[in-house]
Amino acid sequence: MSATTAHPSTVTPEMEKAQRAIIDQSTRIPVVLFYASAVFWLLVGSLFALLASFKMNAPTFLDQWGWLTFGRVRPAHLNAVAYGWAASAGIGTALWLMARLCRTPLRHSKLLIGAAIFWNIGILLGILGILSGDGRSIEWLEFPNYASFMLFVAFGLIAVWAVIMFRFRQPGHVYVSQWYLLAAFIWFPWLYSTANLLLNFEPIQGGAQGAVNWWYGHNALGLWFTPIGLAAAYYLIPKVLGRPIHSYYLSILGFWSLALFYSWNGMHHLIGGPFPAWLVSASVVASVMMFIPVITTAINHHMTVRGNFNALKWSPTLRFTVFGAMCYTLSSVQGIFMAVPSLNKITHFTHYTVGHAHLGLYAFFTMIMFGAMYYIMPRIVGWEWPSARLIRWHFWLVAIGIGVMVGALTMGGILQGLALLDPGITFMASLDYTKPWLLLRSGSGILLTAGHIVFAVSFTLLLLKAGTRREGPTLFGTDQGRKPEPLVP
Amino acid sequence: MNTIVYILLAAGLVFFGGTTLAAFYWAAKTGQFRNLEDGSKSIFDGDEPVGTATDAFADKKADRPLRRGATALQS
Repeated sequence: MSATTAHPSTVTPEMEKAQRAIIDQSTRIPVVLFYASAVFWLLVGSLFALLASFKMNAPTFLDQWGWLTFGRVRPAHLNAVAYGWAASAGIGTALWLMARLCRTPLRHSKLLIGAAIFWNIGILLGILGILSGDGRSIEWLEFPNYASFMLFVAFGLIAVWAVIMFRFRQPGHVYVSQWYLLAAFIWFPWLYSTANLLLNFEPIQGGAQGAVNWWYGHNALGLWFTPIGLAAAYYLIPKVLGRPIHSYYLSILGFWSLALFYSWNGMHHLIGGPFPAWLVSASVVASVMMFIPVITTAINHHMTVRGNFNALKWSPTLRFTVFGAMCYTLSSVQGIFMAVPSLNKITHFTHYTVGHAHLGLYAFFTMIMFGAMYYIMPRIVGWEWPSARLIRWHFWLVAIGIGVMVGALTMGGILQGLALLDPGITFMASLDYTKPWLLLRSGSGILLTAGHIVFAVSFTLLLLKAGTRREGPTLFGTDQGRKPEPLVP
Repeated sequence: MNTIVYILLAAGLVFFGGTTLAAFYWAAKTGQFRNLEDGSKSIFDGDEPVGTATDAFADKKADRPLRRGATALQS
């Protein structure tokens, strides 16, 4: 099976174009369902984020109601953005990519619509459960059993669908994005069910729970969000620029080395904890080995865009995606250093870790998802984004917002960590160091939320097919009468 | 109950570890790791070939109406 078998000489470009249009159209209902719920949960999650952040500045803010106390609002934020926004946007993107890469119209969309319904009911129940005091004190798995079961059913349906799609794909090369997607679809239901079994349904004893917790927590990032984000970047960057990946060999090496090393990483969250030394050490070694997949991806994305960086001035998809891809490198390299015990001593239990989490899940994953949505939505709805100005506002609000947030939490976290290590400084005094930075973080949260509202407006206008029909794509600058520069081949 | 959970976990480990190894073996056997140059071009089509920006900011292409697949279907 070679790539050429998919293109017999009888196939004309017009036929390929029509075929692609049919494939895109076939994904419309499930993808729009997942995307629309993603945008909804993004707004809900931003609201909880603001509440949690304000409580760091003024601890008594809204504390007269139990369901709005920090201990509930914070996990409500995490789960709304992680499962509600990020995972829904990721699933939507992955469904579209699967259909395109399998070169076959989407089959069994009822499976996916069912999954979307289970998914959203699960998240709603989970967030209500957390707010009403039913949540569990296990980070990333706070959802009560009745909610996590719904999510598992949804994941299971999607995994079955992915295997069916792959089975019926057109013969030919399996593109690197598809490897990432299959890995995410097949591994995640297993990770999720195993962690829930061992922590919620049939809890194992004592300290081992911590190990299971972080085995899951890190793998959710490494074997679910990361593969979907990279799959989108590996498709969108070459596709938008019309230029194949710089080194395809490196991209394949990157995938298999990620599969080999990432699943070991979770135990670096437990440095200094009551765990066997070999367990943590093996994880630290695997974390450092992550340099291989990270550097291969960084080289590939940079070298593919090189020479055409001015395209970032025009293409919304490319601007968001390249921003995300750069932040993947940043956050991964940061994460590798945070796994080194001598540095971890400073950053552990501080806001630095929170900054790192947002650099990964927001600056990397969320920005790539925005980029993917800007590319995919017009193709499946048959309508262009109504306003380049709204997209521009969206980009700058969230780009500046996340930059300020990560910067503030990094600075505040380092000061906090050094103060915590100094026996001459009391615990209460160590908190004082973080105050101005947390205020800045709340400010950045307002910027991000404003950006999300702009995006939600833009998304709704597109769904309603507002405005006049556009002939070409909505590019930055065209609303100001400027004409895009051609690409360098 | 505990025994069932442990059996499930062990089976999961064997199954998911096994499928990953099998996928790697399958990829090597069916030539997925050969002709990588062609592989990298597998996402391009006759009407969206290498050298064409699909967000259509390359000059002459932007003038052609209804370039997008989705809109073409409706016209």
